[in-house]
Amino acid sequence: MRPLTLTRLLIRCGILALILFAVIVVAMKLGAVQVSLYGLGKDLISLLLHRTSSLSSDYGMIVLGIRLPRILLAVFVGASLSVAGVSFQALLRNPLADPYVLGVSSGAALGAIVALIVEARLDLTPEMAGLITPVGAFLGAAVTIAAVYILGRRDGQIDSTTLLLGGIITASFLQAVIMFLMTTLSGNNLRGSAFWFMGDLSTPQPSSLLYFLSFGFIIAAGAIYTTASDLNLLLAGEKEAMHLGVDVPRVRIVVYIAASILTGLAVSVSGTIGYVGLLVPHVMRLIFGSDHRMLIPASALGGAIALVIADTLARTVTSPTDLPVGAMTALAGAPLFIYLLRRRIA
Amino acid sequence: MSSALRHPPSGDASRATPDVRLSVEQVSYAYAPNPSQAPLFTLEAMSFQAKPGELVAILGPNASGKSTLLKLISGALQPLSGRIFLNGFETHSLPVKTRAQRIALVQQESRLLFPSRAWEFVMQGRHPYGGGLRFESEEDILIANNALAQVGATELADRWMDKISGGEKQRVILARALAQQPLLLLLDEPTLHLDIGAQVDLLESLRRLAAQNRYTVVVVTHELNIAGEYADQVVLMHRGKCLRVGPPATVLQREILEQVFQAPLSVEMTPSGRPRITLFTNK
Amino acid sequence: MQHSFANAMRRARVFGAAVLLLSALPVRAQSITPAPASAASPAMREVVDEFGRTVHVPQVPSRIVSLAPSLTETLYALGVQDRLVGDTDYCDYPPDAQKKRKVGGPINPNLEEIAALHPDLVLVTKEINRLDTVRALDTLGIPTYATRAQNVDEILSTTQKLADLLGVAETGKSLTADLQARLSALHAKLEALPPSRVLFVVWTHPLISVGKNTFIADALRKADADSIVDATQDWPQMNLEEVVRLQPEYLVFAASHADSAARDFEALSVLPGWQLLDAVRNHRFAVISDAVNRPAPRIVSAIEDLARQLHPTAFQDSPAPEKPAAPAPQPSNPPTAAPSHMTLNPQPFAMELACAR
Repeated sequence: MRPLTLTRLLIRCGILALILFAVIVVAMKLGAVQVSLYGLGKDLISLLLHRTSSLSSDYGMIVLGIRLPRILLAVFVGASLSVAGVSFQALLRNPLADPYVLGVSSGAALGAIVALIVEARLDLTPEMAGLITPVGAFLGAAVTIAAVYILGRRDGQIDSTTLLLGGIITASFLQAVIMFLMTTLSGNNLRGSAFWFMGDLSTPQPSSLLYFLSFGFIIAAGAIYTTASDLNLLLAGEKEAMHLGVDVPRVRIVVYIAASILTGLAVSVSGTIGYVGLLVPHVMRLIFGSDHRMLIPASALGGAIALVIADTLARTVTSPTDLPVGAMTALAGAPLFIYLLRRRIA
Repeated sequence: MSSALRHPPSGDASRATPDVRLSVEQVSYAYAPNPSQAPLFTLEAMSFQAKPGELVAILGPNASGKSTLLKLISGALQPLSGRIFLNGFETHSLPVKTRAQRIALVQQESRLLFPSRAWEFVMQGRHPYGGGLRFESEEDILIANNALAQVGATELADRWMDKISGGEKQRVILARALAQQPLLLLLDEPTLHLDIGAQVDLLESLRRLAAQNRYTVVVVTHELNIAGEYADQVVLMHRGKCLRVGPPATVLQREILEQVFQAPLSVEMTPSGRPRITLFTNK
Repeated sequence: MQHSFANAMRRARVFGAAVLLLSALPVRAQSITPAPASAASPAMREVVDEFGRTVHVPQVPSRIVSLAPSLTETLYALGVQDRLVGDTDYCDYPPDAQKKRKVGGPINPNLEEIAALHPDLVLVTKEINRLDTVRALDTLGIPTYATRAQNVDEILSTTQKLADLLGVAETGKSLTADLQARLSALHAKLEALPPSRVLFVVWTHPLISVGKNTFIADALRKADADSIVDATQDWPQMNLEEVVRLQPEYLVFAASHADSAARDFEALSVLPGWQLLDAVRNHRFAVISDAVNRPAPRIVSAIEDLARQLHPTAFQDSPAPEKPAAPAPQPSNPPTAAPSHMTLNPQPFAMELACAR
């Protein structure tokens, strides 16, 4: 009998964090522009010491100004989607649940498209104009969260099956609205709208937004983590969980809102990147087991690792052009999952 | 470190007398799926009491209200009228966590979405004693091990829950309930999926545990002989009404049983003073 | 027994009615397809379109439907707009084209609407229209002529071929000659100057440009501008790092309203990665009319406009001709309120978007 202890948790997370760090370093090295790690290291130190004027080359600026923010965005999005995925799988008691199944991503996409349409009619400063799409997306996500919550209630509480059904229906409905908007309103914007369906990390985001995202992640993921042992019991059945002392309605609401916020934040800046939220929790479960106290941080780190790798591939495989990162996540993720699954069963 | 199985704390309210642990007082219930519809099912007002160390059988045919009564006792449902006290505390008004420290409900089956090992499963019983991010302590591990030992399932500890037999699973589920260190142990038709040997094992364990650890055990069943052989008290239910409460010898009598169960039978007394019911076939 | 017989009779009657109804539909459909060519119509001839397809058209087609904005513009330039009976929702130039009967979008035109117009010729182009549309029109028996233009010279030759097709060969010749003359004059002025290295920005989020084999890239070249994009795809998504490494001298935007493009540019200039581009920091961007997106005669005006903006020294002696939207040559204008966003012609693949989840 070896239950999870704090030490074991920290050691495992430490290992994953090291792997993530290594992946980030490699990702900084690879790209359309070649850099040497040594030069990069020197640049980072100069940056930390605020001696930006003495950076070793233009390429240093490129890496720190374009590549590193993109990598950090991938870390954020990967971690958010994975934590949301593991939460929804527990909340809905369904191993096929992913962050998008409750319609949040469709709501975000619709919000972004509406924001695009509205922006053209407003007179905004450039800073505002850059923010309006993520803000619109997040508002769309928030409205969807509220709507699905209302739909998903039975006897005044969230019910897993009803929630799932309500979410799927909402997602389909919103998709239809999006398609309608795209065909009737725009002969333009179509290629740009594809971004929402294939996912894209290449757009540099204003730094104010990045701070907001990190803050949101910490709060939301933290809230979910406080229910980690409750989620373990929830998977055994809601009645049983209640008899074992779990405040099921409270856990459901906290997890639902926090996981939806994570999804909304991620989708607002990167579109819908598929497979990360679905597969990373399963892979982590195969490695670490179903104890959510380990699974949640493991999924966050694992998702960050996976998405940084996928995004690095997306921007290097057909350099200088970019591939959609969603294609990379599917191509890379599925075979890995199959491999791990077979190993476990054998 | 305290002894492996410390006594659960007893309540301290005005309704408790030293003897009575569970007190069901004039409890009734009605269930309507829709406010506008007439209630589908009612439980008429009934009362009984149970002591520490006692095994109570709630006996009756299907749809007699047994499971509903159990849910009311467990605090999951709120009675329409009347109250249920456990050591002086109303079960429904306790916070969920405290309730789980005092009342353990043993389900028939456990559907786990992702399989776990038996010891993990039993560890879940320690959840009511932990905070949100608490990790299990040495004491928790000891209690869980003890619980497995008490049901004779120590060697199952490392086995996967989806790979053990029905009887073995039942024992592990019971162990989880024991790990909660409850005052009250509730079981809903625990013998349904078990073969006869396992049934006997289970009831023997329950009787032993009740005596040893001073649990009050309430078992819902429709098996006449189980109630007859193992219960200290029988609550006979029929269509939402409690017909009789008392020791098996007084409750399990031919005329009333034939009415309730609609089958010809005969009741004999065994040397130990317990009734044994034999069913006759029709015609 | 009697019941089942009555039932059978009733079923038979319903069935018969259904059959009658269904058989009436093809008859009705027949009434909307155009009369077959052989029945009392002008003389037909065979022509070969730019894809090698043989098409039967009247000697002088008089009821034309255009399924692409570029083709509509060309028809107006050739002066045959009276014979244009239908065009797409996006055919907006010249303004008169908006008054024509609409048959839907270039990608998903409404076949019934087209057929109801009884056209004797439908014009499509590879850049926008789909092969499925052509096949469907063939099945309906409607003659469809397909064009393609991969560079500016082909745009001119297509214009001439259309003129021949429509019986206005002389007009075509003078139009193409004029365009060619303008291009040659432009070439003469710019010959001595080194080409500007530019990035043609189709879309910013994500960053999309044009491939080197597109007519837009060729149009840029005619304005003595080299696109820094070396991709063979038509609409490659560019890695911002690579663009920064190449440091284009100018960013080129195509917009129907210069002000909105200026605003988009301002929005770009505050983003962290984009500020690494010299062109962004120094406000070096050019805005030309969205005519550059259409393979039609008007593209030459856009080319000239771009040349003026990129190489002003070559034009100091000749005044700028009037342009539909007038951005200043040194575009550091403060942005003003603008109604529309960047326009982009619909792409052939757009309807087949994959929704990845």
